[in-house]
Amino acid sequence: MKNVVKTILFVLGLVVIINVISFLLIPKQNIKKYGMLKTAKYEILAEKENTIDTIVVGDSLVYSAISPMEIWHNYGYTVYDCASPAQVMSENYNDIKVAIESQSPNVIFLEADGLFRNVRKQKWKNYYKRQLEYFAPIINYHNNWKKGIVNFLDSDSNINIYKGYKYITKVKPVTKKVQKKYTNEMKHTTTGENIPDDNLNYFKKIIALCNKNNIKLVFISLPNMKTWSYSKHIEVEKLAKEYNLEFIDFNIDNVLNIDWKKETKDKGGHLNYGGALKASKFIGEYLKNNNLVVSHKNDDDYTSWDKAYMAYKEDLKKNNN
Amino acid sequence: MTYFGIRYVFLFLPIVVLLYNFVPKKIKPLLLLIASYVFFYIKSKKLIVFLILSSLSIYLAGLMIKKIIHKRDEIIREVTKEEKKSIKEKFKNKKKLVLVLTIVFNVAFLFYFKYLNFFFKVLNGIFSVSGLDMTLKLFKHLAPIGISFYTLQAISYLVDVYNEKIEADENPLKVMLYLAFFPTVMEGPITRFNDVKDKIWAGCKVKYQNLCFGYQRIMFGLFKKYVIADRLNIFVKLTFKHYMDYSGITLALGAIFYTILLYMEFSGTMDIVIGTAEIFDIKIKENFKQPFLSKNISEFWSRWHISLGLWFKDYIFYPVSLSKGVKNLTSNIRKKWGNKVSSLIMGAIALFAVWSLNGLWHGAGYTFIVFGYYHFILILLGNIFEPTIVKVCEKNNIDRKSGFYKTIQIIKTTILVFIGELIFRAPNLTVAFGMLKRIFTKFSLNGFKTEVLTLGLDISDFIIVLLALVVIIIISLLREKDINIREKISTKPIVFRWALFYALIIAIILFGAFGPGYAPVDPIYADF
Repeated sequence: MKNVVKTILFVLGLVVIINVISFLLIPKQNIKKYGMLKTAKYEILAEKENTIDTIVVGDSLVYSAISPMEIWHNYGYTVYDCASPAQVMSENYNDIKVAIESQSPNVIFLEADGLFRNVRKQKWKNYYKRQLEYFAPIINYHNNWKKGIVNFLDSDSNINIYKGYKYITKVKPVTKKVQKKYTNEMKHTTTGENIPDDNLNYFKKIIALCNKNNIKLVFISLPNMKTWSYSKHIEVEKLAKEYNLEFIDFNIDNVLNIDWKKETKDKGGHLNYGGALKASKFIGEYLKNNNLVVSHKNDDDYTSWDKAYMAYKEDLKKNNN
Repeated sequence: MTYFGIRYVFLFLPIVVLLYNFVPKKIKPLLLLIASYVFFYIKSKKLIVFLILSSLSIYLAGLMIKKIIHKRDEIIREVTKEEKKSIKEKFKNKKKLVLVLTIVFNVAFLFYFKYLNFFFKVLNGIFSVSGLDMTLKLFKHLAPIGISFYTLQAISYLVDVYNEKIEADENPLKVMLYLAFFPTVMEGPITRFNDVKDKIWAGCKVKYQNLCFGYQRIMFGLFKKYVIADRLNIFVKLTFKHYMDYSGITLALGAIFYTILLYMEFSGTMDIVIGTAEIFDIKIKENFKQPFLSKNISEFWSRWHISLGLWFKDYIFYPVSLSKGVKNLTSNIRKKWGNKVSSLIMGAIALFAVWSLNGLWHGAGYTFIVFGYYHFILILLGNIFEPTIVKVCEKNNIDRKSGFYKTIQIIKTTILVFIGELIFRAPNLTVAFGMLKRIFTKFSLNGFKTEVLTLGLDISDFIIVLLALVVIIIISLLREKDINIREKISTKPIVFRWALFYALIIAIILFGAFGPGYAPVDPIYADF
């Protein structure tokens, strides 16, 4: 019994220490309003209120393909990736709901592959990962110790420099096997792929949420040779027509002209940095051509984005491996 | 799932410990076997069949040898002294047949998974050079995890039964657990059946102290891996990948960092392995003993990956030294040149066999073969020149036991180790020799100043590595003096102990090189 009490006390002490250190390290701009744990769990909450114009929601395809800092540098638009591995629609909905607590985006891009994902299995896995981040925010922000103890209490310090993007330069060219399977999957068909009910219900909730907040929702399907198929394409197209949404499928006719021998990190599953530059440019052009957002370049309220870009470039240079 | 992963440390292991504690004593060893097979299955899926085949083969072969021995002993009891010799010889041949066939059976798997492609590549090279229009198709397959480790354990079990050092076990599950025991199956240490058989099957309850000590050791392993090895990996990767872009001093630092990284990764894994076993009250022998305090290469290999060195000593060095061919050769040499030369040559032949296999064991590639022969030459030269060095020191009144002399020896050995590990890490011999050439010919201090902070590590990273290494060095020096640090800490007041453990855990989380910008080191020895 004595040992059990000792163990519990030890763990409690550890939780307290972790939370104190977490407080010192996580971005603090909105911490008073949303609380430390929630800010750590949803990184977008750490951004200055009403500064994000566009949100890209979805799974790993999103954080591998869209680099908000590249869009900021070239167009002056503020984009944020709200994505986690194998994210399903209920989580997309939740991410949007949380994001609009502090932001008023004009546009939300929704990655479509999550519509077809096995809900039950993924929900469980993601739930525990998120909970871990929730109770130990230090995990996401531990590298901020480098900024020095004097910066810990400064509200402008610890800005997020990737804005949800995950930088990877690794090249693993697509294999013949994957290419063959993809060619087969992309053959024209009239039969659509089934969307699980849970995903469909949450998709409808996302539509309602966007309509209520006057947000333009755009379906996208980012380049992906491993899980995308033509049957998924026609199903999403059907859904887009039904709800009067735009649908950009990057997989049809290789819109981005991705070089699958050089611009993928895992044999065609996801883009690497080279591919992300192309996808990010497309998003920037799309926002510009459709006059959906305005450029914030030279706007004093957005100087932290310039700072973030400098740090981002420095980081890319350092980690170019 | 790796030993360093959250899934192993905070999910798999606690679940096994909980279940292990709640099942009856008799079931406990069985639970360890199931957990070991689950662990293996997660890593290697259906390739688990090969582990089971290896286990069953040595179990059955062991029983067959045991039966042969019993029969021999029965017959010998009833015969005259003159007949004994021929009967012993007859049964020895029978035993040998079983032994050889089973070893061939097990080594065949190892050869297929690890060496066949390399063998084919060598042949394809020969075909191409000799103008033959022939290419052997390479296989695309993954090897069962830890096959090099459990195959050596399987051989040691069989040879020990053959040599009648141990008796073959009647319980197949015990032999299966010996090969598959989840903490050791992936990266060793290469245990001996006699050392662990009783403990793995004892089914002792998990004690609170063992649990604490075990997890403390695991945390220390995580510290080595996340704070030091993963951090240095960024620098190492870049220097080896783009070696032509860097000055000699930067490349030398890359080689030094790789050696530190390798030591931290492998000894860190051993901390986790030994810590895990400790939780179940199973004592596993240490695999490292402060290798960087070695005064020569021979000593280094008796302190680094100890279980592998001992395996080669017992199952290659001695059998080769004592084989008929070598004995005949050395007795002829003895007659011509005397005892010293003959024993030197006998040792050289056995050493050559050991280092040929040691190099190949580490990997199927030319760099590993050169790595093996590099150490063979160094040890051989050490043996040849040792008497001369002793004489020179005596003549010049140099005290070989003095601290200064020892320090010089340690530095010399460490530099030789750095060179060996550079060859080991290089993707091919062109890179290995290219790097070595640049280290000695492009030694520019100015180049170093401009390069060192562009290789992924900033000043704060270097400071953290340095501080962490100071901690490791202090611990190593205390261990060298046979001071049991954990025992010492356990006698201190609770506030001090907890502060220390909190500091260790926080250091791993805070200074661990994970997240954006870091690329963790893959388990290096798990591929062997």
